[in-house]
Amino acid sequence: MSRVVDRLWPSQDFSQTPYWAFRDDELYRAEGERLFRGPHWNYLCVEAEIPNAGDYVVGYVGETQVVINRLENGDVTAFINSCAHRGAQLVRNLRGNSLSHTCAYHQWCFDLDGSLLGVPQQRGVKGCGGMPKTFDKGAHGLHRLRVTRYKGLVFGTFSDETAPFADYVGPELIAQIDRIFDRPIKLLGYYRQRVDANWKLYLENVKDPYHAGLLHLFHVTFGIYRPTMSGKVLMDKTHGSSVLRTADIDENQAEVDAIYSDSAKYRPDYSLRDPSLFDVKPDYPDRVTNMIMTIFPNLMLGQVANTFQIRHVRPKGRRAFELYWTYFGFADDDDVAIEGKLRQSNFVGPAGYISLEDGEAGRLVQNGVEARPDGDCSTIQMGGLGPIGDQDTLATEVAVRGFWEHYTRSMGIAVPGTGQ
Amino acid sequence: MTSKNAGSALLAKDDYRAVNALLSAYCRCLDTDKLEAWPDFFVADGLYKVLSRENVELGLPAPLVYYYSRGMMQDRVTAIRDALTYEPVYTRHLTSGLHVEPDNAAPDAAAFVARSDFAIYQTTEEGVTRLFSVGEYQDRIVRDGDTLRFAERTVVMDSFGVQNLIAIPL
Repeated sequence: MSRVVDRLWPSQDFSQTPYWAFRDDELYRAEGERLFRGPHWNYLCVEAEIPNAGDYVVGYVGETQVVINRLENGDVTAFINSCAHRGAQLVRNLRGNSLSHTCAYHQWCFDLDGSLLGVPQQRGVKGCGGMPKTFDKGAHGLHRLRVTRYKGLVFGTFSDETAPFADYVGPELIAQIDRIFDRPIKLLGYYRQRVDANWKLYLENVKDPYHAGLLHLFHVTFGIYRPTMSGKVLMDKTHGSSVLRTADIDENQAEVDAIYSDSAKYRPDYSLRDPSLFDVKPDYPDRVTNMIMTIFPNLMLGQVANTFQIRHVRPKGRRAFELYWTYFGFADDDDVAIEGKLRQSNFVGPAGYISLEDGEAGRLVQNGVEARPDGDCSTIQMGGLGPIGDQDTLATEVAVRGFWEHYTRSMGIAVPGTGQ
Repeated sequence: MTSKNAGSALLAKDDYRAVNALLSAYCRCLDTDKLEAWPDFFVADGLYKVLSRENVELGLPAPLVYYYSRGMMQDRVTAIRDALTYEPVYTRHLTSGLHVEPDNAAPDAAAFVARSDFAIYQTTEEGVTRLFSVGEYQDRIVRDGDTLRFAERTVVMDSFGVQNLIAIPL
């Protein structure tokens, strides 16, 4: 693979990340080619958003806008939202229903497969003009993506080389997807957050259980998450995708107090005036309070208490991203269960007790590293150095190292000492 | 004519002024960082919701913020003061277009439904101002003793592509 940047990665075990990774324009452009148009599955939507023939939603693969359609035969297709004629944005609403798509500019019309159906004035007007006789409608369809579906999740890829989805994410992650998507979901809404930070900073954040018990006091105080809980970090074989899982078993209050004895932020005396937020029956009997999965390159899906969300990290230039949340419950949830999920929406989203701070963490890091000297790097040693693998602790940043390992491999960035 | 006349479609000038004064005092409370007083603008079982206009138009229920008691609002204030990490900013609320009607669904109590537009600016510690959010307040206001309070304040954000985060109430 040709090199996208001349620079070398500074650390062969990925325990350091060079700050240019968050601010280099050339690198950002190359991500569009190597990651988002490369051999990776990109999240498109959930099937519940397009239940009926003709339903469509507009999504993003990197910065490329794509239209995702439900066909009459039940299949799902996706193509770039750009006309085959002169490139105009084809579909102008984010969601809708239509059995064909017509460009506003010259009324070229396409079916839901992306095939060109009609060209106005193809044979000219009054015997003059028109398209050449050689014009072949079959050769002027929309730019399509390959689509795959798994348990109601829809992914797309521009590459013919992308492995089948189950192989792409691997058995460890599939088991976690199956746990959540064991029954049809019910859409509850969307949240959008615009964060002034490189998109990879959000991925680092959701792969890092170390910060969760330190930045998020609310989390800790009310027992959604503590580093003393039973916790695991799992990765797929590429180490690019990961699962952080915590369960409220095997811990006691004395351990918690000891861990936080040197932290001014932890307040064991803190109690809620109205704790009804927590008075919600668990959705699963396994006592898992937190399950944060990331699927390379830029998807997070998971559970925080009774909330279930898909968070799609949509790059918007090298130092901005939109975090697009799809918030859901389950089709068989009764009114009480739905009300519980609406109450606990106070944990998540742009105003949520826990999640609002992750946007701020991204902003703080981007601000911090924007003007650091070129050779400066972050330090990622929590959980140890050396080989990257699963760990049974939450005091670790190993999944962040795993992300950079697969990122540099996918991007073709040279890592001295690794043969890469 | 007063608002206590059940079923009245008309609104006394004094009532309009009183509602307007409540809305102004609410904004001033937030903009002068007197957050501890914010929950008192609501009745004890008051409802405070922040909704995305996108979800409202799609008929989807997920709120950005959903507090259904003054206690939950006090908890938010405590979290803002002692726990949450967010960018320190000054805020400035501008409101306009106040429309008030008697709440005909509550004929026995003096109650109003009100709608108004808001624009909230944020100014950083370096003095740079940005427009943070625009949207609409949808209120149900009741007389509680000799003062008016919100029984319900729903904040519908047009700016649902939230600039980073919402820490301080809108």
